[in-house]
Amino acid sequence: MFAQQLLNGLFLGAVYALFAVGYTLVFGVLDILNLAHAAIFTAAAFAAFSLAAAGLPLPLAFLGAAVAGGILGVVLDRVAFAPLRARNAGTLAPLISSIGFAIIVGALLRGKYGVDEKHFATGGLDTAPAIHLGAVTFTTVELAIFAAAIAMMLGLSWVLRATTLGRRIRAVAEDRVAAALLGVNLERTIAATFFIASALGGAAGILTGLEYNSVTLDMGSPIELKGLAIIVLGGMGSVTGAVIGGFVIGAVETLAIANGLSEWRDAITFGVMFLILVARPNGLFGKRALRQA
Amino acid sequence: MNRITVPALALCAVAALVAPSGAASKGPAAGKTVHVGVISDVTGGAGVYGTPQKNAYELANDDVKSGKIDAGGANLSFDVQDAASDGAQVVNLMQKFITDGSTAIVLGPTLSGEAKQAFPLAARASFPVMGTSTTAEGVTAIGPTVYRDALAESQVIPTTVRRTHDRWHYKTAAIIFGDDNAFTKTDGDLFARELKAAGVDVVDSETFHQKDTDFQPALTRIESKHPDVIAIGALFPEATKIILQAGKLGIKAKMFGGNGLNSPDMYGVAGPAAQGIVVGAAWYSGAKYPSNVDFVKRYTAKYGKGPDQFAAQSYAAAQVVAYLVAHGATTKDEMTSALKNVRVIQTVLGPIGFDTNRDVKSSPVILSIVKDGFTYFH
Repeated sequence: MFAQQLLNGLFLGAVYALFAVGYTLVFGVLDILNLAHAAIFTAAAFAAFSLAAAGLPLPLAFLGAAVAGGILGVVLDRVAFAPLRARNAGTLAPLISSIGFAIIVGALLRGKYGVDEKHFATGGLDTAPAIHLGAVTFTTVELAIFAAAIAMMLGLSWVLRATTLGRRIRAVAEDRVAAALLGVNLERTIAATFFIASALGGAAGILTGLEYNSVTLDMGSPIELKGLAIIVLGGMGSVTGAVIGGFVIGAVETLAIANGLSEWRDAITFGVMFLILVARPNGLFGKRALRQA
Repeated sequence: MNRITVPALALCAVAALVAPSGAASKGPAAGKTVHVGVISDVTGGAGVYGTPQKNAYELANDDVKSGKIDAGGANLSFDVQDAASDGAQVVNLMQKFITDGSTAIVLGPTLSGEAKQAFPLAARASFPVMGTSTTAEGVTAIGPTVYRDALAESQVIPTTVRRTHDRWHYKTAAIIFGDDNAFTKTDGDLFARELKAAGVDVVDSETFHQKDTDFQPALTRIESKHPDVIAIGALFPEATKIILQAGKLGIKAKMFGGNGLNSPDMYGVAGPAAQGIVVGAAWYSGAKYPSNVDFVKRYTAKYGKGPDQFAAQSYAAAQVVAYLVAHGATTKDEMTSALKNVRVIQTVLGPIGFDTNRDVKSSPVILSIVKDGFTYFH
């Protein structure tokens, strides 16, 4: 049972981590909380559903919808953040405008898709072959989801570390004014950041939709608060911290249930987080990690 | 009592055949205008339950106009207001309907928790209200004007446990239920009580929260205790995921649940994994009496999807109100006293009445999920 629970925790943590890296990336660069991240998570899952329903093979539907999520992120920046940034509106106004954007996206999705849960015709848990390996059982879908999440997080790490775009993103995160003076195109770099962050958040939504074969209007609400918790735990703005935070939360949740404490799950999860924050008030990896990535 | 369900339905079918239907009669309320307030969660988290309710009232509005529902020639309309799954909005809407001077009765809200917030207002104002999906314990005890046409879980779960136990002779059980929703929490408590009363050893009890998607840790733990059966206290969005994930983990225990599992999504979404699962419920979509067959057919034609129990119980409430209007109740006071004197009204749920606690008097149906629907569990 322990091996199966460990695996359950890993699968859960991978999606949490993928959601959280996008969340924390925007914070690391702009010092703002993007509370529309969960709406993009949901919108991308619906986009994948539509593309798959239109006959696209699942991997292509996944890619297309992740790109759609990225584009929606760029729109989000132009609509909700850029005008306020231009007026030096501080950090609270963008928080509210991102909530507004999320509500509008939610209303549009409801208008288009209705309130019923949507399901992928193929590729869900119900059709995927189960693999029994010793004491553990998992499906090819879960394995693919786990691999995709890990690959995307490694990819992001590589982009930030080794590409010109990554260097620009880190420069803007470090000091926006200095970066601009040195010739970095601020708005384009911020747009690229939103694209990457939202494509990853969208990918997390699509993978969640696939994993449970369920796409719903409110699928983002449980992960919204957890995502925030994860990035605080990992250290605001730290990509590595978000990944580790995601796995920690996934593991703590799973282990709480595995030990017969399901009704205490959230209390335990947030209790553990509180203890970690008492020991390390800036989270596991502090705030400067993205800048030093 | 449930054993006479099938003959009772047959009787009901005969009754419905001999009863006049179709053209609206002219009753004491003929020509009068009667407003019915409806509070439903059309949007927000509970939108998936409130939308079928809204659909049912829209169909009822059409049917009153066409005379398919007989309101005695009164100009009866159901005014559906969206509470957006927000308790504060439920309370506001209830306040509005109670004080607007023109509403004769309020139907809804959607969730038991919301009812517990809003019904006390109605009770204090001696205003008649009827829940159509608020099945948690204690809802009708809120006040003497609070009714419900939804069979309470306390009326459904005991029969479900008894029938499955009689048939399967299980000795151990696990329970999985939502502990943050009045309805599913009631399920969990009732399963624990009834299983114990049946001499069954409850070897594990797991909880979850609304909108959870990952049930594998809880199911892995349940499987480690090897229960003969698993009792599910959930609404269908969570129930389908529990069943699918149990299937994936290779869990072979038989499963059963209550009203929350009475949805086309159970077989439509959970597919083969759901087959054989037993569902105790207030309504059977495949029941053959004429008003139900007609309701299911027209609802499906209008909305492109079959009705679920939320829709059926709302439509039945509309039929109850229309019956009272046809017999002369057009104001809130007339409605209150008419409700006290209801004997039996024919609805899509079958013939229903109300007991002294103002709970609906009807029998649960025990169903079993098959490939493309439900069938009676024998």
